[in-house]
Amino acid sequence: MKRRLLALSAIGVAGVMALTSCSSSSTSKATTSDGTTTIKLLAPDYGTAGGPDSSQTYWQGIADAFHAANPKITVKVQTIAWANWDQVATLIQDKQYPDILVGDAPQELAANGLLYPLTDVMSQSTISNLIPVFAKQEETSGVAYGAPFTTSARAMFYNKKLFAAAKIAAPPKTWADLQADAAKIKALGGGNIGYGLPLGPEEAQGESFMWMLGNNGGYADASGKYAINSAANIETFNFLTSLVKAGDTQPSPATTDRKTVWSDFAAGQVGMVGGSGALIPIIKTAGKLQTTDWGVATMPGKTAPLTSALAVHDDITAFKAGGHAAEVKQFLDFAYADKYQIQFDNEYNLLPATTSASTSLTASDPVAAGFLATVPTSVVYPNTANWNTLKSKIQQTIGTGVQGTDPSKVLGGLQTFATSNQ
Amino acid sequence: MTTQTAPAHAAARPAKSRAARRTPPRLRTVGLAGGAYLIAIFFLLPYLEMILTALRPHNEIRDRNYLPHHFAFSNFINIWDTGLGTNLRVSLEIAVGSTALVLLVAIPAAYYTARRNFRGKRLFLLLVLITQMFQPTAMIVGIYREFMQFNMIDSVWALVLVNAGFNMAFAVWILNAYFGAIPKEIEEAAIVDGCSRVGAMFRVIIPLAMPGIVTALIFTFIAAWNEFIVALTLTTSDATHPLTVKASSYIGQYSIDWQHLFAGSVIATIPVIILFALIEGKVVSGLTAGSVK
Amino acid sequence: MTQTTHPDVRGAGPGPGEARVVSHRPGGPLRRLTRALAPLPWIAPATGLILFVVIWPVVAMFQTSGQHYSSLGFDMGSAGWKNFTRLFAEADLTSVMVRTVVWVVAVVTITMLLSLGVAQLFNKQFPGRRVARWALIAPWAASVVMTTLVFRWMLDPNNGAIVVFLHQLGVVKDFNGTGSNVLANPVSAFCWEIFVAVFVSVPFTTYALLAGLQAVPADVYEAAKLDGASAFRTYLSVTLPLLRPALLVAALINVMNVFNSFPIIYELTGGGPGNQTATTTIFMYTTQQTNIGEAAAMSVVNFGFIIVIVLLFLRASKWNSAED
Repeated sequence: MKRRLLALSAIGVAGVMALTSCSSSSTSKATTSDGTTTIKLLAPDYGTAGGPDSSQTYWQGIADAFHAANPKITVKVQTIAWANWDQVATLIQDKQYPDILVGDAPQELAANGLLYPLTDVMSQSTISNLIPVFAKQEETSGVAYGAPFTTSARAMFYNKKLFAAAKIAAPPKTWADLQADAAKIKALGGGNIGYGLPLGPEEAQGESFMWMLGNNGGYADASGKYAINSAANIETFNFLTSLVKAGDTQPSPATTDRKTVWSDFAAGQVGMVGGSGALIPIIKTAGKLQTTDWGVATMPGKTAPLTSALAVHDDITAFKAGGHAAEVKQFLDFAYADKYQIQFDNEYNLLPATTSASTSLTASDPVAAGFLATVPTSVVYPNTANWNTLKSKIQQTIGTGVQGTDPSKVLGGLQTFATSNQ
Repeated sequence: MTTQTAPAHAAARPAKSRAARRTPPRLRTVGLAGGAYLIAIFFLLPYLEMILTALRPHNEIRDRNYLPHHFAFSNFINIWDTGLGTNLRVSLEIAVGSTALVLLVAIPAAYYTARRNFRGKRLFLLLVLITQMFQPTAMIVGIYREFMQFNMIDSVWALVLVNAGFNMAFAVWILNAYFGAIPKEIEEAAIVDGCSRVGAMFRVIIPLAMPGIVTALIFTFIAAWNEFIVALTLTTSDATHPLTVKASSYIGQYSIDWQHLFAGSVIATIPVIILFALIEGKVVSGLTAGSVK
Repeated sequence: MTQTTHPDVRGAGPGPGEARVVSHRPGGPLRRLTRALAPLPWIAPATGLILFVVIWPVVAMFQTSGQHYSSLGFDMGSAGWKNFTRLFAEADLTSVMVRTVVWVVAVVTITMLLSLGVAQLFNKQFPGRRVARWALIAPWAASVVMTTLVFRWMLDPNNGAIVVFLHQLGVVKDFNGTGSNVLANPVSAFCWEIFVAVFVSVPFTTYALLAGLQAVPADVYEAAKLDGASAFRTYLSVTLPLLRPALLVAALINVMNVFNSFPIIYELTGGGPGNQTATTTIFMYTTQQTNIGEAAAMSVVNFGFIIVIVLLFLRASKWNSAED
């Protein structure tokens, strides 16, 4: 997940720019004489603003329940559409800090000394309930400055109808299988796509990572140093190039965004695609595939399916400027209750960030259970301080590596960018 | 590509039909009209597709046919129910507000520069000309920072100011040409007849310049009504989103809700087309003074 | 609309009144001062608006291009010329610049040529002319973002109306197959981007030229006819020269719009694959996501472009008035 793109969006960039003179007005302590406190929570909207699925509703519900239990603390909720998320960067440059920020990774913010360490704003019992693989991601030099809040894992969705029509017995386990199956599906005619490969600027870093993992590659080596142009990764991209050239994918992966491929899959036109739980409601809305018409399998690797899936998460961080550590701690402990974790996951088909919520969701939701099973061993993005910037660069350029530009050149360029912008 | 050839053909037609002067006039008219209609239809096709998509039920959205099997008028009702009325009002406020502001500041400036010589006139006109060259897209970041400093984020007023600022140059330019074309004698005659200079401006000059004013008005109105990037950047809450931003919210994180996106676009486009059609004749004559000295 | 604006127009009253009083005052050193200040009530509001809304962000942009920013956007002090040297070291910059020139020249030239024809046709008398002219309004009145999105939708390789049409013609063999996605190949994608840009530019240009055509006095044509000139010759030697001011204005407005155009390329390809369909405006946007200072440097270079165009225009219009 994680923000992206703004399709229409814009140049929204607003964000990105810096302020020369900042008028900071947010430092005033919001504690009045009668001892009541107001804390500000800023969150992305995973639904549609104004719509019934708006995240504003979710957070306001928690805030109201919390206020009822703690009348002296009021939580002021503000949500911003993911498409406009760059505005948050501008708010931060302008020193208009919220007390709690949902959405962004802590590393850059922590490096600028803006955040409380997690132990200051979350009790030990809540922290130990966080799923370890994600909790580990929050650290900067061994200290966690944030907590995972919502997560998702990736797997391969496949169209059982197309598989049956092409006489494919089981989902592919290796790249060679995948290529053969994709070719068969394409050969069915009718404009079917074998494998939907979205390497457009929206989410290319995720799709690329899944393929790199299949060849024991990745963005970083075992020591945590960037290894984007490793021999394994170059081999992976050479394979993808051959896949594209043979017509086993949709034309032009470098300009195809994930939402297009997902929509094609939901329309019944794609044999295989990398997906997460978020694809499920899209399939349902499109109304072309029944629940029995599609399946989920582990992503194939070069010689065997991936042993660890790609999992991603969004974070919660707490800013020091307001000085409300105690109140934030009370609120976060309250908000991380299983009830709220699961409510969020049901609303948006995402996964919980806590062990206890995972356990109860596994028991109640078989599809989520499948994804959740892959989480403990999953692989995550690097947690380096320049990952966000590098990610933008990857999104813009990596797709060209499967459309004729020499992969070693594309990946080499990214490696140079990664190491020279640290 | 095939459809693209239509205007090219038609474009060649006038010269041809003129050369063929001996053909009976009626046939020539039919040819002319036929060509013009073809061009007209060509320019309407994408908007026809927009309407058709807006009427597609969600389970037919990716079907390979020109017309859906069923028409889902509910798409329009659905998006209206998400509070589109508010967004429509915001769009109107922005468009009317910036149009009013543009006329308010551009008319005096254009009138004075057309009538008087003063030190700094060239500088002023050069400034206007340079402004004409800029579009907010290139400066969105600076604009955001500025309005952040003035604490005007998420305010309709900010959008009124920005739209007025970037569209004023055209208004000054066209009105300047217009006022300049009105003979001084007419104005002086009015003053002799007992009007004050201001009175003369209102009773004589402004009515004479009406086509120019209407042109400036419609340009500003359309630009402000359709403005997207500044609105997207400067407004954060649903209640201050104009229609363009609201429609774009159907481009979600995981999917594009095409039928609702286009239903919103249709609602956003129709009022402007109607407004434009009503005063189409004036726009043509209004541009005349601006383009021909 | 006109009605609502009237009160505001009247609101400008005090300005003119003041000026009148001032201009009738007798001499003295005070007089010189008041005379220098006399234009103020008339042009100060306009100048103020320009300074506030347009010039301020331009200054901010220049400032930014000389600063070094952390990835969070905090100002880390002066960067000297580093943002510029980085920008000019970008491997893609040259091709992006060349493409920008191609983009502007191609779109504006095609638009002007087509509009000349369309305007000529729509200037003739035929039944239903008014309705036909209304149709031309649609692309002008609709937002470019929406129009571009419709084209993207119609070009969808799975079910776009244009692709379905091409499939029926046999041009596209398979949906989602090779040749079905015209936006896949940088060359064909760029051609379509040019097509959409022309599509949205022709209506305004046609209207501007129509205005010019209507201003040509009928007796000029009569004279040409008496001289026995052919229709084509008349067009070349009479109509076109008289249209020149209108052409010049329309061309300038088009050049600026097309140069600054963002939504068309952004919505169709995002400038990709890589930067292979990007113009400088798009390139600035993508750079902004990874390096703010460098993006500002790109804006400054764009600013330079614009100044050059303004100077060229001033020259052209001077040459024009000298000849008249």
